[in-house]
Amino acid sequence: MPASGGVGFGVTATRAITLIAALAAGIGGFMLFLQFGAADGLDSMDIVRSVLIFASTFWLAWGASTALIGLTTLPPEVPRDTGPLRGTTAILVPIYNEDPQATFVRIAAMEASLRATGLGEHFHFAILSDTRNDQIAQAERLAFIRLLDETGAEGRIFYRRRAQNKGRKAGNIEEFIRQSGAAYEFSIILDADSLMEGETLIEMVRRMQGDPKLGLLQTLPVIIHAQSRFGRAIQFAATFYSPVFCRGLAMMQGKTGPFWGHNAIVRTRAFAESCGLPELSGKPPFGGHVLSHDYVEAALLARNGWTVRVDDDIRGSYEETPENIVDFAKRDRRWCQGNLQHSKIIGAPGLKPWSRFVFFQGILSYIAPVFWLGFILASIAAPLFAPPPDYFPVEDWPFPVLPVSQASKALGLAIGVVGLLFLPKILIFFEARIRGRDKGFGGAGRAMASVLAELVFSSLIAPVLLAFQTRSVFQVLRGADGGWPAQVRGDGSLTFGNAWAASHWITTTGLVLLGATMWLSPVLVPWLLPVGLPMVFAPVIICWSSKASRTPVFLTPVEWQPTAVMKLQHLILSRWQGMETPVENRDQPGTAVTHA
Amino acid sequence: MSDIMQLTETDIDRMALERGALPLAPLAMPPQVLERIEGGWIANLLRLRPIQTPKTGH
Repeated sequence: MPASGGVGFGVTATRAITLIAALAAGIGGFMLFLQFGAADGLDSMDIVRSVLIFASTFWLAWGASTALIGLTTLPPEVPRDTGPLRGTTAILVPIYNEDPQATFVRIAAMEASLRATGLGEHFHFAILSDTRNDQIAQAERLAFIRLLDETGAEGRIFYRRRAQNKGRKAGNIEEFIRQSGAAYEFSIILDADSLMEGETLIEMVRRMQGDPKLGLLQTLPVIIHAQSRFGRAIQFAATFYSPVFCRGLAMMQGKTGPFWGHNAIVRTRAFAESCGLPELSGKPPFGGHVLSHDYVEAALLARNGWTVRVDDDIRGSYEETPENIVDFAKRDRRWCQGNLQHSKIIGAPGLKPWSRFVFFQGILSYIAPVFWLGFILASIAAPLFAPPPDYFPVEDWPFPVLPVSQASKALGLAIGVVGLLFLPKILIFFEARIRGRDKGFGGAGRAMASVLAELVFSSLIAPVLLAFQTRSVFQVLRGADGGWPAQVRGDGSLTFGNAWAASHWITTTGLVLLGATMWLSPVLVPWLLPVGLPMVFAPVIICWSSKASRTPVFLTPVEWQPTAVMKLQHLILSRWQGMETPVENRDQPGTAVTHA
Repeated sequence: MSDIMQLTETDIDRMALERGALPLAPLAMPPQVLERIEGGWIANLLRLRPIQTPKTGH
């Protein structure tokens, strides 16, 4: 266990500035709304709404401040060992009822990419199956034998299926470490949909070797292979905005960085001594296995004095995303339960204050939509609580005193909230323009069109996601366990019937919301339409956004310039599917590709 | 090299087990303390006793 170092001045200053900026924005929103509400006499509902505005604005401002920090800083120089690679690194691929062909082809591509570097012998792959479906498991075994036969990597690629999937993904990795952990100095943890360049895997090991206190190094995965309108919008947003947000996050978190569960490398002994997860007391959703184990593992490593870092400058790290809103919401339901479960861990002895704050942030990120909903409901119900207008407040004064309109304050607040949402994205566009990053997105014109389209699209789907998230929070709070559904990958196209079945309750909620507003506060109807209309048309939005995207906007660099490992993946997949391999000269970066 | 189209289900199971076996190199992973003991500080308060006076010097 390394000696625990203090938090640097830069990190402390960054945290303080962010906190002060977010608090200032929250208090500003609170005061503006209080003045607006007090125009016709202050009542209890005005105070409730002002408090909700404070919490929501604070959260938005926190995100905007993170982006501003990311825009104004550059990645620092980090130590890296340029000498020979020491020992062997395990690449762990936990799988659970995944498409075997797609999964094993990704492994074949990464193996070929590593082999092309000449350092492939320093890496072993361990495919850790928790698959419960026997047919899929049989296909996994078949794909494994094919993988060994084609790569000749017997003794470097392993496969095992657990009899019982105790502890889910965290338990799967834990069982590997208990059985084989001592053989590996480092372990790279992937998801079934992860893809990484061989050079990237090597770079991660070099950085671990360069800093003996580094317990975990997280990369920023870029989303690839999205096909639908929803998937490509998310892919664009993640590729265009996330590097800046991640930069800000890295500055704020310092040595108490994040772990997102995959596309990261750990020092195996540090992980083993720090990250054994017990079952939490009580029943799910709050008790039982730790669901969002990654955040907890990062906190436990930091508790033991290890550095946990996210290096946003590492390229060649990829993942995929759900192709439609319904699958996205299903994954989010699991994350919601996992984050709310952290309320049991937030007080764990010895945690760094920042780790506790990260847990709090995670909880807040799921509670924030409930605040917004609470604000909307309180605003609709406010007339019921408002005192009757008193036009003659001064005794014996014969003329009426009309209340001064405070509408400008409400308008100012609305502009502020919209600004907090949109300004970081616009600023990131200018950053991309200045640094020439926009070229990968089709040039300035197309990047700007993509940013504007993403703003419209995210505004359209936000109320739908808000509804799903709010339902998830209430499900968890009433004790419903979401279980462990397998990730849905692939095409993801939904019929209107599927979309209707998944979201008709949102339509009903939207209609009730608009109807109640027309009845109780007709003046609020235009304000509520941007939220109410997408809710009413949720099934249409969900169905439409799940269809294949053919638009030139939302272009990302890897869509028109696939990287070496993506080309390998494409070649191998074509062969495994029995299709003619579309080999072109430009698709062959090295001998490893032709032999892949 | 095996012709995987000719393999029976039993062959596949056996080969996957034999060729996929992970190396044996156990590493302990002790469970960590994640939750505060319920009502810990109250329990500690209840367990308070007068400070023992050291006998040294008496």
